Amino acid sequence: MYPFGRGIARHLPLALLMIPLLLYVVFAFGPSMATVFFSFTDATGIPGVRWHFVGFDNYRKLLFSSDQAERLRSIRNSLEFAFLVVVIQNAIGLFMAVLLNRKLKGDAFYRATFFLPVVLGVTVSGLVWRMMLNPMSGPMGELFKMFGTRSNFLSSYDAAFYWIIFVQIWMYMGYSMTIFIAGLQSIPRDLYDSGHIDGASGWKAFRYITFPMIAPAVTVNTLLSIIGALQTFDIIYVLTNGGFNTRTLALDVYRDAIANNTTADYGLASAGAMVLFLFVFVFTVVFMYLLRRREVDL
Amino acid sequence: MFKKLVLLGLSLTVIFMLAACGGNNGNNGSASNPPDSGSSGSASPDSGSSNEKVTLKIIHWINEPVNKYYEEFNKKFTEKYPNIKVDYVTVPSDATYDQLQQTRINANDADLVALKSGFAPIPQEWAKGAEAPVWKQWIDAGLIMDLSGQDFVKNYNATDVENSTTYNGKVYGINMGKVSFTGLFYNKKIFADNGLQVPKTWDEFTKVVDTLKSKGIAPLGFAGKDIWPFNLAVQGLSATVHKDQAAFIKGLWDGSTKFTDPAQIEILSKAQYLLQNAIDGTMGVDYASLPSLFISGKVAMIADGTWNAPTIKSGDPSLEFGYFPIPGSNDAAQNASLAGKYDMSWMVLEKAKNKDAALKWLAMQSEPDHYAEFVKASGFLPNADVQIEDPFVNELKPYLQSFKLAWDQLFINRPNAGEHVSGSSVHAEFLAPAGPIKTPDELAALSQKEWDAAAPK
Repeated sequence: MYPFGRGIARHLPLALLMIPLLLYVVFAFGPSMATVFFSFTDATGIPGVRWHFVGFDNYRKLLFSSDQAERLRSIRNSLEFAFLVVVIQNAIGLFMAVLLNRKLKGDAFYRATFFLPVVLGVTVSGLVWRMMLNPMSGPMGELFKMFGTRSNFLSSYDAAFYWIIFVQIWMYMGYSMTIFIAGLQSIPRDLYDSGHIDGASGWKAFRYITFPMIAPAVTVNTLLSIIGALQTFDIIYVLTNGGFNTRTLALDVYRDAIANNTTADYGLASAGAMVLFLFVFVFTVVFMYLLRRREVDL
Repeated sequence: MFKKLVLLGLSLTVIFMLAACGGNNGNNGSASNPPDSGSSGSASPDSGSSNEKVTLKIIHWINEPVNKYYEEFNKKFTEKYPNIKVDYVTVPSDATYDQLQQTRINANDADLVALKSGFAPIPQEWAKGAEAPVWKQWIDAGLIMDLSGQDFVKNYNATDVENSTTYNGKVYGINMGKVSFTGLFYNKKIFADNGLQVPKTWDEFTKVVDTLKSKGIAPLGFAGKDIWPFNLAVQGLSATVHKDQAAFIKGLWDGSTKFTDPAQIEILSKAQYLLQNAIDGTMGVDYASLPSLFISGKVAMIADGTWNAPTIKSGDPSLEFGYFPIPGSNDAAQNASLAGKYDMSWMVLEKAKNKDAALKWLAMQSEPDHYAEFVKASGFLPNADVQIEDPFVNELKPYLQSFKLAWDQLFINRPNAGEHVSGSSVHAEFLAPAGPIKTPDELAALSQKEWDAAAPK
């Protein structure tokens, strides 16, 4: 029987749903569509300045203009950043989840500690690591000195990008770990008992029981980290502001739109955002397809 | 019935959201009645609006001594005009301020806006295809108020007004003073203890560096992490190696000069020397930490702008320090003057809701007493004939007989120039030991290649 009665009451849920739908259209879907539109214009965002349709000029500028070496490096950096973050963050997250899923003394404390950076947020984490990685007075510099070496860390053209990846993983590993722990805790104990009778223990139990059973958690973690990593700009902004070969596509979008000394180029920034969206979309769809195929049902 | 209800709900939601987003676009959104601007003449204390309460919105960036001055000044202003409340907002001076400036101007949600400099670089006929500076776009779009007729403009030297905030014959801002950044702060005690004099030529400078190194003192410190502070020193080299920077820049556009010319190679070589003789880890020092590095005595000299003298002074009032131009050449006369820029300018938004209050604020700021206090707090070199009893500023006077604009105030870039020539174009931070490029010749060749690639087609 339909639970919402008759007359107005019957249609009220649908009417109420229109409000969030409208908010979504106005504040999310609409601006997204506007970005597509602006990517074909020379809009600067300055009131009173006329803008024009420029066809694919912004996309050409993004990929084939005289600074294409830097632009293409930004794209390559974005992809490398996403690849390393997805692989390492999830590998460490899974390892820590398996460790903490055992009945350890103080496991709740460890879980909270590893999750803490997620709560701290980007700015606090960024400032902490700026101090840690200060080559003149930071603890990392002192540690390197003990081993007879030194680094400029976040000011090194060779290393800064990888230090940012390290900080990103440090910040979000706890998030992946928590999702994996939730997945691990949903595995029925009797599967391991049956496996044990069949001779599956240790690595074999993980390989043939645990890993297939947490496939949904792997899917969620992978997709979230792909999307998050490709869109990352905040931690790069805080740590290096794109200097020392650390520019990514997402940071370029911000710089083109806002942090440009001469003028704001909304058209170019919108084209960059569209390319970024394309990457996110393609990777998400492909990985979702591949990972969902692996998931098993009880 | 259902359709009607849904339509009604949707309409109310849209109206609610549009109302929330729309804000006050018109001139009637505020309690004040701005006077007829532009040609209205002076902003006398009792002119314009009545005693209606208004809020004057000002945006600025964080610069502690200047912010403190303005907090005090705003109190005095509110005492004089009790009906005007001042909302003085400050954010970090990096891209955060650019973002704030852009959004507030776009939303017309400010009355007074600080610009980071005077109007520079001035667009030139010979720089075809160059992007228009953002201040020019704002003026061309009619967003900035013409202050030409205001009495308080006359409080400043006409030449400085002409060179700093005049465009197409009209005054669109009030520039608050000049700064120099082509010199080095030096620790007088360290110099005296080691029998060192302020160097007047490049050879004398290298001797100072050698002496300090032989005594185990780090000669130089740079805020390498933020890159631009190191390039202040490079601009110092440029200002003293080039006889005429403006002519060289024009030549880059018409092809008669190149980034690979001997003068540019000399600048890059000397910049590399500065990096080689900097304290270990200097590329990890951020700009905010640079004064404390200097105050601690860990380095004898740092590259910074004169605007940071008040910060150094407040960090350790007993520290004795001075400032001298980087002697990039062996011609003492060529090295004898500092270069710099017109620093902060105030602009009134044309559609400001409280234009009258903004003009009153500028008029009061321009009164000689208040301006003198500002100059003292900011460390700026004044644009008006005010007496400043500041030993630091007085010590600079010999270097300021002929104030000249620095490279980044003159240079006009080509759109989409590669990273080795982007922005203000000289990027010595790419040189070893800071960066991956080993020799000045390699960097110069790369810069020229990218400059040529960005030439208008």
